[in-house]
Amino acid sequence: MNKDPNHLRRIFVITAVLSVAADLLYWFLAGPHIPPGRMTSTASSNQWDFNILMVIALPVLIGVWVFLGYTIANWSSKRASAPEPKGGAAARSNMKAQTLWIVITSVVVLFLAGFGTFELIIGDGSGGGEGPNPVWEPAGAAQAETAALTSSASWAPGKVLVVQVIAQQWKFTYRYPQFGGFESAQLILPNDTTVAFNVTSLDVIHSFWAYQLEVKADANPQENNVAFTTTKQLGQFTVRCSELCGLWHGAMYDFGKVETRSNFTNWATTTESANSANTADLPAFAWTYVPDANGAAGGYYPDGTVTPYSTVETYGAKQAAS
Amino acid sequence: MTISAERPTKSVATSASPPTSRGVSWTQRPGWMSQHLGTAIVVAVLGYTFGHWLGNYITSGYPYIANSGQNAAANALALTFGVAGWLLGIGALNYPLAKLVGKEPEKDTPVDGWSKYFRYTLDHKVVGLQYVVGVLLFLFTGGLLAMAIRTELLSPTTHVFGPGTYIEIVSEHGTIMMMMATSIIVGPLGNYLIPLMIGSRRMAFPRIEAFSFWIFIAGYGVIFSALPYGGFPTGWTGYAPLQTQAGPGMISYLLGFAVIGLGMMAAGFNIAATIINCRAPGMTWSRVPIFVWSILATAALLTLATPTLFAAGLFGVLDKTVQTAFYVTEHGGSSYLWENLFWFFGHPEVYIMALPGFGIVAEILPVFTRKPLFAYKVAAAGMIGVALLSFFVWQHHLFQSGINPDMRPLFMLTTELISIPTGFIFLVGMGTLYRAKIRFEVPMLFAMAVFFNFLIGGVTGVFLSDVPVNVTVHGGFFVLSHFHYTIMGGLLFAFMAGLYYWLPKMTGRMMNKKLGQWHFWTMFVFFNLTFFPMFIIGLLGQPRRVFTYARNLTFLNDFSSISAFLLGFSFLIFFANLMWSMYIKPVKAPANPWDSLGLEWQTANPIPLYNFERIPVIMTDPYHYSEVDAPALADLGLSGPGAKASSSSGKSDKK
Amino acid sequence: MTDTSHNQKPFSETPEEVEYELRGQIGAIWSGGRLFIGMYTFLLASLAFSYFYLRAANNGLLWRPHNITAPTSYGWTIWTLSLVAAALVLFGQRRLRSGNVLDWQVAGWVGVACGLGALGAQIWEFTAVPFYPGSSGYASTFIGWSVINIGTLAVATYWLETTLARSLRMRKKSGGASPELATTASARLFRANVSSMTYFWGFVALSGALFLAMFYLL
Ligand code: HEM
Ligand SMILES: [Cu+2]
Ligand SMILES: [Cu+2]
Repeated sequence: MNKDPNHLRRIFVITAVLSVAADLLYWFLAGPHIPPGRMTSTASSNQWDFNILMVIALPVLIGVWVFLGYTIANWSSKRASAPEPKGGAAARSNMKAQTLWIVITSVVVLFLAGFGTFELIIGDGSGGGEGPNPVWEPAGAAQAETAALTSSASWAPGKVLVVQVIAQQWKFTYRYPQFGGFESAQLILPNDTTVAFNVTSLDVIHSFWAYQLEVKADANPQENNVAFTTTKQLGQFTVRCSELCGLWHGAMYDFGKVETRSNFTNWATTTESANSANTADLPAFAWTYVPDANGAAGGYYPDGTVTPYSTVETYGAKQAAS
Repeated sequence: MTISAERPTKSVATSASPPTSRGVSWTQRPGWMSQHLGTAIVVAVLGYTFGHWLGNYITSGYPYIANSGQNAAANALALTFGVAGWLLGIGALNYPLAKLVGKEPEKDTPVDGWSKYFRYTLDHKVVGLQYVVGVLLFLFTGGLLAMAIRTELLSPTTHVFGPGTYIEIVSEHGTIMMMMATSIIVGPLGNYLIPLMIGSRRMAFPRIEAFSFWIFIAGYGVIFSALPYGGFPTGWTGYAPLQTQAGPGMISYLLGFAVIGLGMMAAGFNIAATIINCRAPGMTWSRVPIFVWSILATAALLTLATPTLFAAGLFGVLDKTVQTAFYVTEHGGSSYLWENLFWFFGHPEVYIMALPGFGIVAEILPVFTRKPLFAYKVAAAGMIGVALLSFFVWQHHLFQSGINPDMRPLFMLTTELISIPTGFIFLVGMGTLYRAKIRFEVPMLFAMAVFFNFLIGGVTGVFLSDVPVNVTVHGGFFVLSHFHYTIMGGLLFAFMAGLYYWLPKMTGRMMNKKLGQWHFWTMFVFFNLTFFPMFIIGLLGQPRRVFTYARNLTFLNDFSSISAFLLGFSFLIFFANLMWSMYIKPVKAPANPWDSLGLEWQTANPIPLYNFERIPVIMTDPYHYSEVDAPALADLGLSGPGAKASSSSGKSDKK
Repeated sequence: MTDTSHNQKPFSETPEEVEYELRGQIGAIWSGGRLFIGMYTFLLASLAFSYFYLRAANNGLLWRPHNITAPTSYGWTIWTLSLVAAALVLFGQRRLRSGNVLDWQVAGWVGVACGLGALGAQIWEFTAVPFYPGSSGYASTFIGWSVINIGTLAVATYWLETTLARSLRMRKKSGGASPELATTASARLFRANVSSMTYFWGFVALSGALFLAMFYLL
């Protein structure tokens, strides 16, 4: 019996060696290439988050795999040399092993929860949808958002850019309140700029997923869902809808661009004036838009001439309160 | 009162069938009077037709709705009456109606032969086998739909199906599979084995048990009744307002979940009551097999979480028929309400799909390692802990939705906490495997695969619960892969382990080992080849439920598709094995082919109608493998040799 | 091969086994009754959650325009009837325990009448509701409550009626004595059932009070 080697130590050593190797390989070879890249602040910080998780997960995976492999290799009934197993109390529980297991998993898990929360807060929501009143927001965002609803809203390099993302079956359009509120089918952003995406929908739930920007926020009808990121690199990015929204959900995507600040300003001011006639026909910039009586949900914006659909009036007037 | 080992052997009653007032009985009437699948179908069709007519009649004041083919009210009534007719036709309502005039249950004699499988049979062993066929029906239909999905995804741009058909297929696939997964272990193995494992001669509520099966099958009809209406476009999650916007096929989804929900509640209710009350003398809480613990935790979730699904479905049906506005934001409702209700059910639901699998692998490992189950108490506590915690994590499905964003750290914490008790299954498994003597029989192969697959599923779950990482992966193929690793890689592999392991007891026939090994290896390899690439596809930005994708993902998608077809092929091997071993060339199974100590193997084969000739008296837990002088498991109350259940078979490895 | 009907060893039980299983069965009725209340709690909680969720959201200011209210007379009638039914059931069960079988019978059947009355009123209320189902969040949840309550009252009344019918039939069989109080298996099961049913009625009345307050009084 004493010849029986210390299996746990062996397993531990193999795991440790493999884990260190795997972690190093991962961190240096794969880590920097993990999607969605480093085009924005949230992209790189969430990539870092993913990599940290991976570095913790790899030893866990390897540990269990090594254990299973070791088991299969050594303790198969086909191996004549395999010792007879022993039952009894010692095989039924082991206070030390159980306590250790619970303590280790608890510590890892609590660390991860703390780490995730920390990253979420310093990442200003990490590019995820934070609802209409973001709890964590970058400096200057609150002012920019408040100003966006006024006609005096404007943007200058260094300020937070407010962009509204309007989803509808089955496309995204974008409004720029700091440029007169024009609406564009194209999402163009300035580089080195913090962007506040205000995502809403005119009909069903969609999800605005700007892949390389690492921004994802559900587009809910009559709700504003705000997400932040700061652009860091020039280039093209993909926008896809990532919440099933009906027939053409699979085809609901387009491409946007991060341009230099001056190119962006050029584009925005040109488009603002080119579109001014259209913009005048649009409803005033608002965080959400309620469809009017002429359209099914998402049909038309209220345009001032049609009475906005109001169930208060429709039903309230007809029916006396009892 | 306990039954002592020294018990009077003189019996009081002697008859071929147990007294019916105590529930063990089943329906049989000769000839035209009898009720069976055929009458159920006929009455269901009549009910459906009547309901449809009624719906159009009621709405006749609205000419643009009535008889338009888009009449949700007609559809809802048709399905409601159809299901009621189905229950009436199968005989589920006989006793509830007779009760109105105070009647006791009818006295019935057991039926010989196969026809009882097509009736409202009250024997839990028959219900178990009915469920085996039932869940396989769901599984194979859902599997065919999956093949269709993967066919469409062979090319990023060329389309095999139109977008409407594609969304219909995806939605039906997800829904049918989720419905199947709620019952795949609880239904067949839970119903069959629980009484045998706890030493009971009966279920607590055999009629409710039979009801759960037949309404489960009705759910199959209901969910596919969407097809003539153009299906439903929402996927299995049914989000409003898309739900509100959808055509009358949506009714099939909402009512389908409500109907399946009734079955889930019924099954959970009966099983929980049985485990709590019908344990044999001496079967204390520290002696019940771990599988029973897992099913008890699942039953608790089934009974308590499902009412929320039922309510959510009911509100949806009301929205679409009488035009309430639960989920209509413009009218004072909220689309968030559906998301909250659905996931409040939905997360406990995912543990309904996980715990029984844990139970099976934990139950099987000791048999094939010849070692006692390691850390039994931790395992049981973990299952209860998971069940409790699972009510407090639902918003991790809504991290990017804009709902309660300030609660995200809290839900991140609870979600990560739940992986502690979930992880216990690995502690238990590894502790049991340690210094064991492993026989790699087919059930053991599947059980080992569960550890491999579920590890990946669980670890990626932790990735998903990290809110920053969730921004990357939510709504994409990464999530898809995560839950296929947990549900298919965990639950389905565990189900297969359970089938290979217990079918010899359930049918008296051995599954063919060679074919079983082929089945295992093809399924294991192609499962991983199908779903592992999907993690990468998801990270590279492909959302779920799309029919077009970026061209640079073609290779990975094709790889996944081709593996999926081969995975589908592995199910054909399984099916062939089932046919071969059960019908074509059945090989009689030994009484205890795996040398298990479990109580379910100690009763006679074929199992008597009433399970045990005498109520067994349990003396210890069933995990005394490889123990010198192990105590006998139970006193089966039989006289003569073999009176005590064999125990220390650890030394006598048959092979 | 293991077709269970092939193992036709005669079924036999010792008196101890009979008693043991009977206790299990009684326990199942007892715990089944509690579990059923648990299930119902989750069902009603889902409705209450919807109510407070929509109320807090007040989307489009349409939670409850003009503070519209369903006819309170109906609300009070329905709830009072179910409260009376619950009280009668409780009273009847007490009397049954102390041997007054007739009191239980009378109280029970009056309870059935109250239950049916409440059910009828709950259905009839639809004709008197002063708003469209979709006109507000309040209206929607109210319709949801009505539908659920119709189901609840039907289930509870059915349960009460079937126990009473059973007790009548037991009487018919054993001829006039009070078979409900006997020590026979069916009588013991019967009493366990009455106890679970009484709890359920109590639950109906209590939860009814909560929803009465939510929908008619607040
Ligand atoms: C370690 C335990 C687990 C953790 C931490 C975990 C975590 C998560 C998270 C955070 C999500 C949301 C992903 C998103 O949509 O962004 C998710 C989705 C999901 N999980 Fe898990 N999970 C675990 C185990 C399981 C198990 C055991 C199952 C089922 C057997 C399961 C089934 C699912 C399903 C079905 C979904 C996706 C539902 C959908 O969107 O359609 N998970 N999981
Ligand atoms: Cu979409
Ligand atoms: Cu979940």
